[in-house]
Amino acid sequence: MEQASSIQSDRARPRALVIDDSAPIHRLLSARLQSEGLELLEALDGPTGLEVAKAERPDLILLDLTLIGMDGFEVMRQLKDDPATIEIPIIVLSGLQSAEDKVMAFDLGAIDYVTKPFDLTELRARVRSAMRQAQLLRMLAQRAQIDGLTGLYNRAHFDDRWPEAISSASRHNRALSIAMFDLDHFKSINDMYGHPAGDAAIQGLGNLLQSQCRDSDIICRFGGEEFAVIMPETAPSEGTVLCERIRAELEQMTWPRHPDRTITVSIGLCGRGADGGSMTPEAWLEAADKNLYAAKEGGRNRVHCTDIEGARVQLAKAG
Amino acid sequence: MTTRQTEKPVIVSDFGDDPDMAELVSEFVSGLPQQIADLQAAFTAGDTETVTRLAHSLAGAGGGYGFRPITDQARIVEMEQRDSASPESIRASIEALADICDRARRGIESNA
Repeated sequence: MEQASSIQSDRARPRALVIDDSAPIHRLLSARLQSEGLELLEALDGPTGLEVAKAERPDLILLDLTLIGMDGFEVMRQLKDDPATIEIPIIVLSGLQSAEDKVMAFDLGAIDYVTKPFDLTELRARVRSAMRQAQLLRMLAQRAQIDGLTGLYNRAHFDDRWPEAISSASRHNRALSIAMFDLDHFKSINDMYGHPAGDAAIQGLGNLLQSQCRDSDIICRFGGEEFAVIMPETAPSEGTVLCERIRAELEQMTWPRHPDRTITVSIGLCGRGADGGSMTPEAWLEAADKNLYAAKEGGRNRVHCTDIEGARVQLAKAG
Repeated sequence: MTTRQTEKPVIVSDFGDDPDMAELVSEFVSGLPQQIADLQAAFTAGDTETVTRLAHSLAGAGGGYGFRPITDQARIVEMEQRDSASPESIRASIEALADICDRARRGIESNA
């Protein structure tokens, strides 16, 4: 197998991996892209390219499609299948000009498509553009507050919003509740039916929360199989009604991957009325977590709710 | 083996005026006779895979070095070989490619 060779060894510079079976193309690109401040790695076939991509994590990949042996489409598939390489932007460099090939390349995750023979000035501009985009995407990924699996807010967003919600409730003398949701026996769902079933359960609860909560509620995937819902202007007695409805709904759902196995959720809620006291965000969250623990201890598939003073709030049994 | 058709004009790289490219282009062109010889040898030996690979490589690289005609003709060879065109037709296409490469080589020499 061909060994990738590093043209330059200055690691501070962004690195591009060229996967192309033509040695003259490597020479041309290395000469012409160095002026972009890029360090080039080269691979003359698909398997070598995959190996180098995984080991070196370049900032950009320039990929020929019509490689001899494993073709570029397959290389791209494997790059996009591997968490280690999924985020590396790929510019396709190809002699294939058909719309079909382009569509397939973009659908597989290419960021750009340059047909050979390429104009070097244009290619350099496209490389610059791809590097910019990749940098923006990385920045977004770091800062984004959206959970990929559920489309709900993530923990980072929760950490921003929860203290705000508390100070706003205190300032305006408004009720506020927080509920923690945790899927019951989640590990056994994963173990028995596989991770896709676990993911489906998380998504199912996420969708249910979205459909049942009010627009003003802030639903976050807190981590793993745990969700936090911030409920502004919601006293614990109202919050517990909503939580009970969600608990009952989830229990009724059937799951395509395991129709005979229901999924339940335990819920801990802690809230204050309009004129209740306050707590630090950490202590309040901990109180809700404690209630979640009590719900688990109490046999799971239930809601355990207290007010901020620690007094138990029972669900008023409606007919 | 190369068909001499000296009456045909030389071919120069589109990047002929770019001093940064001069050395690269000249290196590429000086490698062409060997690539054509390899291509012809592979064709004679009936090694279709190598014919396809070499033609593919020339097609990919030619235009990048400013020789669009090399890309166009090499692509014809590659496609004919892939589509299992008649040996006569492939041979003629390889000869035409050899001629273009030769004219590119003479273009560099005439410039030197």
